[in-house]
Amino acid sequence: MTDHVVEHATCLGCGCACDDITVVVREDRIVEPERACSLGRLWFGTGAVPARVRTEGARDVPLASALDAAATLLRDAARPLVYLSADISCEAQRTAIAVADVLGAMLDSVTSGTAGTGVLAAQRRGRASATLGEVRNRADGVVFWGVDPAIRYPRFASRYAPDPVGLYIPAGRRGRVVMAIDVGTDRAPADADHRVAFTTDEEVTAIELTRAAVIGRGAGGGSDSLAERTRALADGLRGVRYLAIVVDGEPVAGRDPRRAEAMLRLVEALNGPTRCVLVTLRAGGNRSGADAVMTWQTGYPMAVDFLRGAPRYRPEDGAAAQLARGEIDTVLVVGSPLALPDEVRARLGAAGHRIAIGPRASESPYETDVAIDTGIAGIHEAGTATRMDDIPLPLRPALRVPSLCDTAATLRTLAARLVAGRAARRPEVA
Amino acid sequence: MTRLRITGGMVHDPANGIDGTVGDICIENGRIVATLPPDAPRLDARGLVVMPGGIDIHAHVASSSINQARRLLPEDHAGAPIAAPVLAHDDNGEVLIPRSGSGGVVPSTFTTGYRYAGLGYTTVFDAAVAPVSAREAHAQFDDTPIVDGGCYILMGNDALLHRQIAAGERERAREYVAWLLGVTRGYAIKVVNPGGIELWKRNVRAVGSLDDPVGDPRVTPRAIVETLADAATALGLPHPVHIHCNNLGLPGNVALTLDTMRALEGRRAHFTHLQFHAYGGAAGKWSSGARQITDYLATHPEASGDVGQVLFGNACTVTADGAVEYLLHASSGRKWVNVDVEVETGCGVVPYTYRDRAAVSALQWAIGLELFLLSPDPWRLVLSTDHPNGASFLSYPQLIRLLMDRSYRDAQLATVNQKLLAGSALADGIAREYSLNEIAIVTRAGPARLLGLTTKGHLGVGADADITLYAPDADRARMFETPRHVIKGGTLVVEEGQLRRAPAGARHHVRPTYDRAIERTVREFADRYFSVSLENYGA
Repeated sequence: MTDHVVEHATCLGCGCACDDITVVVREDRIVEPERACSLGRLWFGTGAVPARVRTEGARDVPLASALDAAATLLRDAARPLVYLSADISCEAQRTAIAVADVLGAMLDSVTSGTAGTGVLAAQRRGRASATLGEVRNRADGVVFWGVDPAIRYPRFASRYAPDPVGLYIPAGRRGRVVMAIDVGTDRAPADADHRVAFTTDEEVTAIELTRAAVIGRGAGGGSDSLAERTRALADGLRGVRYLAIVVDGEPVAGRDPRRAEAMLRLVEALNGPTRCVLVTLRAGGNRSGADAVMTWQTGYPMAVDFLRGAPRYRPEDGAAAQLARGEIDTVLVVGSPLALPDEVRARLGAAGHRIAIGPRASESPYETDVAIDTGIAGIHEAGTATRMDDIPLPLRPALRVPSLCDTAATLRTLAARLVAGRAARRPEVA
Repeated sequence: MTRLRITGGMVHDPANGIDGTVGDICIENGRIVATLPPDAPRLDARGLVVMPGGIDIHAHVASSSINQARRLLPEDHAGAPIAAPVLAHDDNGEVLIPRSGSGGVVPSTFTTGYRYAGLGYTTVFDAAVAPVSAREAHAQFDDTPIVDGGCYILMGNDALLHRQIAAGERERAREYVAWLLGVTRGYAIKVVNPGGIELWKRNVRAVGSLDDPVGDPRVTPRAIVETLADAATALGLPHPVHIHCNNLGLPGNVALTLDTMRALEGRRAHFTHLQFHAYGGAAGKWSSGARQITDYLATHPEASGDVGQVLFGNACTVTADGAVEYLLHASSGRKWVNVDVEVETGCGVVPYTYRDRAAVSALQWAIGLELFLLSPDPWRLVLSTDHPNGASFLSYPQLIRLLMDRSYRDAQLATVNQKLLAGSALADGIAREYSLNEIAIVTRAGPARLLGLTTKGHLGVGADADITLYAPDADRARMFETPRHVIKGGTLVVEEGQLRRAPAGARHHVRPTYDRAIERTVREFADRYFSVSLENYGA
C-alpha cells in the first residue's frame, strides 16, 4: 500500500467508538489518527502487528498446518473453551460462536469477567436507556455517578454529553445541568454544576434513599447527613425534563455488587416524574458487539455452555470459574490475548492446551500450542463493531497486510474442518 | 436439485384461481415452470395439500429491539434449549454448519429460521427496524437461515421528517424517505405511533387526537401519516405505508384508529396488528371495536391490515412504541426495557402473559378472532400475531384451527373470562369457518399481494419455488404444525417432516430514485445531530 488517508474510520480504543477519525498512512504505517484521543492514539499505534503462524515451540508453520493442529486439539478436547476477547469484528464473533457450537464447548467473553454484574442486573430488572445520540440531542440533565469519563472515555463529553449542541439543546453545555456524584475516591467531572459525595459504603443506601425520595417514600424529616443529601439529590433529578445518569459499566474496585441493580431501580423510578435513561460506559475492542452477537445466536449475552448440544446459560459459572476448577482442558482464545481479564489470564495455565487466534496471538503472555496472528478489527480488518450503546458501525481498515490472516476467514476454515471431521467420525445413517 | 415435478397434489393457489384442484407443479432452477421433461425427478404429492410457502407480513425477528427482548429473557430460553438439526450432506461443496439455539417466545436467529421453515413459512418481514441500527438487523437476518427477509424502516417519529413537515415540505419528504430506504436497505415505510414516540421522549404518554401538535403545530399524527402514505405512493413502493396507529392497547382507541383510516381515505395504507387498536369503551369497561374496523374495510378497498392475534400463554411485547411499554410495565409490574433511539424512534420491551381467566386478555383474544371472522375480504386482512407481541409465530397452527373449526373455537370461548364479552359478535355466535383456500389467502397469497411480491404467494409459472405440502388432518393445528415437505427456492428444506437443508435466504429491499439535492439537507442535519458519521449510517 502506498501513502493514503482513510476517513470516517471507527476507533475501538474505548466503547465510545468515535467514527470520525481520519487515519493518515505513510509507508504502510499509521502516522496520524486525526481527532483520536489519547486512548485512541494508543489503540491505533502505528498499526504494526506481528504476522506469524506458529505451533508448539514457536515454530513458524503454514496456516493449513496450524489449523490442522488446532482442529485436532479442539476435536480431541474433553472440555474445550472458546473465549471471545477484544479487537475482533462482529463477523469474527459470529464465526467463533459457530466453532463453539460445533465443538459443544463452553463459550464466554470479556463481558463476563468485567461488566457481567450489570448485564445480569439488567436481565433481572430491565433497563431504561437511550442511545448516545439521544442523550446528546435531548438530555437537559446529566449525572456522572462515580465516574469522570475523561479518564477512560476521553471524548464522551465532547461527542455525546454534556458539551455538544443537541437537537433540543441548542445552547450545548450551557443548556444542561451537570451533576457530579463522587463516590469514595471515584471523582466525577470537576466542572459540574452541582456536586454530592458519598462514601463507597454509603453508595447503595444512597441510591435506595434517593429512589425512595423520588417516589415519595422518603424517610420523612430525617435530618442525618445522608438523608439530607439524597433528598436534595432527588429534587435535583426530578427537576430536569430528560435526565441521563452515566455510570461506568467496567470494573471499579471496591464497589458494592448490589449497586448495578439499585441504580436500575432508581432510573426506573425517575420515569414517571420525568424521563430518565441510564448510560453504561463500556470499554473498547467491540466487547459490546460480543454481547449482541451471542444474544442473537444463542439467546444469552455471555457465559454459554454448549456441552449438551444446545446453549445453556452459566453466568455464575463462567470461564474463569471453570478454569479455576481445572475443568477446561483446551482453550481457544479469539481476539487480543492482551485484553483478557486477569481472572482468566491467570488461570489459563490450568488448561492443557491453548490456541490463540487474534491480533498479536503469537505474543500471548502465556504459552500457546497454536498461535495465528490476525489483524485488528478496524485497523487491518473490515466488518462491523458496536458502540457501547449497541449502535452498529462499519469498520474502515487503514492497513492491509497481505501476510496477515483474516480473523473471520481463519475461523470459517477452522469451523469447516471441525464439521468435516465430525461428519467423518459420525457418518450419517442412511 | 435443479428440477422437480410435484405430482398429484391438491393445489391451493388462490392467486391463480385454483382451489384444491389435483395437478402437478414443475420446478426448475428455483422457479416454477410450465413443463419438465418426463425423466425429471418426482415428488409424489398424492393426497397432500399443496400451497405456496407462507409469508409473514409482520413479525419481530431481526432488529436491535428484538435483541433487547432476547437479552431480557434468559429464564424463558432456559426452558427451551434447541439442539442443532441434523442436515443432509449434499455433495455440493458447501459447508453448512447446523446450529443450536434457544427457543421460547423470542428464539435465537438460527432457530427462528429453522422453525419458520418447519411451519412451511418461507418469507418473513421484520416490521420495526431503526435506521441507525439497520446494519444489525441485516446481520441478524444473515444468521436467520432459509427464509427470505426484509426490513420495514421506522420513520413516523423521525426528527428530520418532522422538520420537513413543519416547513411545509411534504413533497421533499418523499426524497428523504427514498434516501432512507436505500441507505438502510429497507423494504417499506413503517410508522409506529405517529408523533407519539417523540411525545413519549417528552414524557407525554398518550395522544389525544390526530391533530395533537408534536412540537410544531403543523406536525401532527395526521400530517405524519398523510406525508408518508403519499411518499409510498409517489415512490411506487411495492408495499404501502405500514401503520401502527396511536394509543396501542388503550381502551377506546378504536376511535383514533378509525380517524387514522379516514384521514387516509382514498390513499393506500396498511394498518397493522389491528386487534391492538380495536378497543371500545374506557378503562375498566373495555369493549370490542372489531366490527367498526371490518365495516370500514368493507367499504374502503384501498385499506388493508393484519390482525395481530393474541393467544393465551407467554408472549413478549416489543415495540418501537416506548410509551405503551412504560404503561404496560406500570400496570403489570413486569420488568421493562426502554431504549430511546436518536433522531428517529424508540424501543420498549415488557414480557407479558395473556391469561384466559383475565377479562382483558379474553377480550383481546375475542377481538382478534372477530376481525378474522367478520373480515369482508381475506385478501386485505391477513394473519399475524405481531410475533412475539400477541403470541409466538409458532402458534399460527393453533390460530388456523380456531379459524377453521367452529366447534373447537366455541369450546375455547366457553372457557374464557366472559366479563367483557357480553354483546360481542363472537359471544353472539359466528358460524364462519375459514376454508383451506381462505387460509392460503391470509397466510400466503394475501400478504404477497399486499407486499407487492409478484413472485411469491402463488404457484404460477415464473413464481419462486417456495412451496409447502401438508398432509390433510381434521385437526387443523396438527396439519399446519408439521408440513410433510417444504421447498424453498427449489431446495427441499423439509423432507418427510424433517428439516434437512438450510440454505441462506434472500433479502428483499427497495432502492427508489430520488433528487440528489436531498443529500445536502441530510448532511447538514446529520453533521449537527447524528452521533455517527453520515458515511457510516445505514446498512
